Amino acid sequence: MPFKLQRREHASRLMLIAAPLSAVVLSTIVCSGLLFILNKPVGQTLYSFFIAPFENFYSITEVFLKFGPLLLIAQALAVGFRAKVWNIGAEGQMIVGAIAASSVPVYFVDSTSDWLLPAMIILGALGGMAWAAIAAFLKTRFNANEILVTLMLTSIALQLLYYLLLGPWKDPMGFNFPQTVMFQNEALFEPLFSGVRLNTSIAIPIIFTIVIWLFMERHFGGFKLVVGGLAPQAATYAGFSAKKAVWVSLLLAGFAAGLAGMSEVAGPIGQLQRSVTSGYGYSAIIVAYLGALNPLGIVFAAFFLAVLQIGGDVALVSANLPISAVHVFQGLLLIFYLAVYTLVHYQFKPIRSASLSATSDHVT
Amino acid sequence: MNSTSRKLPNALARTLTAIATAGCLFSTAASAEPLEIGVLLPSPIADVGWSHALNEGIAAVKEKYGDDVNVSTIENIQEGPDADRIMNKMIGDGQQFLLLGSFGYMNAGLKLAQRNPDRTFLHASGYKTAENFSPFTAKYYEGAYLMGMAAAELTKTKKLGVVSAFAIPELISTINGFTLGARSVDPEVTVDVIWINSWFDPAKAQDSAKALLAGGADVLFSNAQDTPSVVTVGEEAGAYVFNLNSSMKEYAPTKYLGVVKTDWAPFFVASVDAHLAGSFEGKNEWLGMNDNVVVVEDWSSDISADMKARIDAMHEEIASGARHVYDGPLMNQEGEEVIPSGERLEDGAILGMDWHVEGVNSPLPK
Repeated sequence: MPFKLQRREHASRLMLIAAPLSAVVLSTIVCSGLLFILNKPVGQTLYSFFIAPFENFYSITEVFLKFGPLLLIAQALAVGFRAKVWNIGAEGQMIVGAIAASSVPVYFVDSTSDWLLPAMIILGALGGMAWAAIAAFLKTRFNANEILVTLMLTSIALQLLYYLLLGPWKDPMGFNFPQTVMFQNEALFEPLFSGVRLNTSIAIPIIFTIVIWLFMERHFGGFKLVVGGLAPQAATYAGFSAKKAVWVSLLLAGFAAGLAGMSEVAGPIGQLQRSVTSGYGYSAIIVAYLGALNPLGIVFAAFFLAVLQIGGDVALVSANLPISAVHVFQGLLLIFYLAVYTLVHYQFKPIRSASLSATSDHVT
Repeated sequence: MNSTSRKLPNALARTLTAIATAGCLFSTAASAEPLEIGVLLPSPIADVGWSHALNEGIAAVKEKYGDDVNVSTIENIQEGPDADRIMNKMIGDGQQFLLLGSFGYMNAGLKLAQRNPDRTFLHASGYKTAENFSPFTAKYYEGAYLMGMAAAELTKTKKLGVVSAFAIPELISTINGFTLGARSVDPEVTVDVIWINSWFDPAKAQDSAKALLAGGADVLFSNAQDTPSVVTVGEEAGAYVFNLNSSMKEYAPTKYLGVVKTDWAPFFVASVDAHLAGSFEGKNEWLGMNDNVVVVEDWSSDISADMKARIDAMHEEIASGARHVYDGPLMNQEGEEVIPSGERLEDGAILGMDWHVEGVNSPLPK
């Protein structure tokens, strides 16, 4: 019997929750099939992905170490995505945040001041915001597409990073290798427990999440932002500004991504080097959508993706899986989610021959 | 793997392993646990290039020890916090002997080595050491010197071009060796260098190679490029070309000058031997022709028999230590004498080299 997709009158609450869950189940099934074909141990791989990250205390702290930046950036991106501002360049904003923050220990190599870390936090946030502001300016002033601009700015940020590492910021004792000095302890976040890399910076994404939740769910500003993005003209009539939505979305994302970049160099890395982002800026896009752009949903999604990435690393070592297999799994997850998410707003209706002529609301 | 052996005191475990290895003479020592070897590589292993050469070296260890070693290789891991976690996991999984295949794994690897004094670490291209942590580098400049001699004979424009990765001492000293070799045959030859700041950027490498050719170079040197891009450009343009690490002759069948190959097998096997015997000592391992690590082969048939004889003789002298690439007199780019005749540049000065010899036209990036 043929079916058609029909728009629901109200978004389905059930599907909203079922969508990410079925995405997980479906991608697990497909991935298992692929592993089977690749002749890899399916059971051990799934164990690596979903159980091993919780096997010991160290692994659990590593999950939270990944969870932090994913959560921070995804929350900010989601605000923009709800306002239809497509910032794809959180990666670049993160890099510039890391650069700006690193200027402190690079120029004050011998300082042991307690103000090092606070200064780095502020500069990291400002750096990310400044980078995002370029895209916001070009969008509001010249209507330049922010998808392209933010993406290209990421490439420029990378070149800026390389330039600094090979030139003025190079470690004078580092034999010309592209890296800065190792930062002094005063420029690093304190580890939460001895022997682990998880550190006090985890507080930043948690506080940020609460603030975002209050802003989007409990505050009129969040509503204005969404309307400004969804229906710019209606927003203008109501006195809200679409330009403001662009500025707020991008600056917020720059703020969060800059802080995330700062937390990486002042956390697990401990210096500025060529790879500082671990791809968080892109993964956070997946997190934002898996979390249905909802602050609470994003918490779960960020945690899930963190587990998946730690599990992926375990699978590399213990199940001898190639790294591309990990990426395939993560990609499948997003694709299935987007496919199933259609059912939040649409439903399948059987097409009866009599009603074939009356399919005015048929999706094209 | 069972955990009993890990619970044994370290020294005892080592003694047992040593006895077990010695026991191979009498029986197959079925009681011995295989040595767990972990290999971490920055790029895909592929058919040619850096990771490929390291992997070949490890293959020799496998061949020698068979079931007595268990090698797990993880390729294509970007340097950074994720690599650090993976190394940590390798240690947690009980791997006793780690080969870290990239400079950027240094700081995290060293920390792990200090925390796990019973494990052995080999680290490519770094400069920090610990009792159980040896950085290793090849004396590429020895091979490059011979390539320079061949290039000087074959060039018509008297201009040679180098596409190079990072301006680190290892690569600077290789370019200098190449230049010294060329100018030992023909003092009019000069060298242009383009630094592309990447080990792996085929598009940029190709563009740079074409730019060097446009500037008049007719011999190309692909310095630490993990792809055959420069080599294919040379073949297409009819310019002789050579590279490091593993042979890329198939990409330039008619214009391949030769390869400065790294054969890590002797070094890796010796290190595993030492680990098993409990005699491993972390130190800066700097390996050349004399160690059979730097191997020059696949010579172009266009090199005259005369020149080939001269190259072979020089090969002998360098390998035996009678001659050193950095014997004086050495002049820098500014034409100032760095080392007078009769003296030799110290090892430390080569390992930290941050200047070019006379004959290199391009300034070093500062």
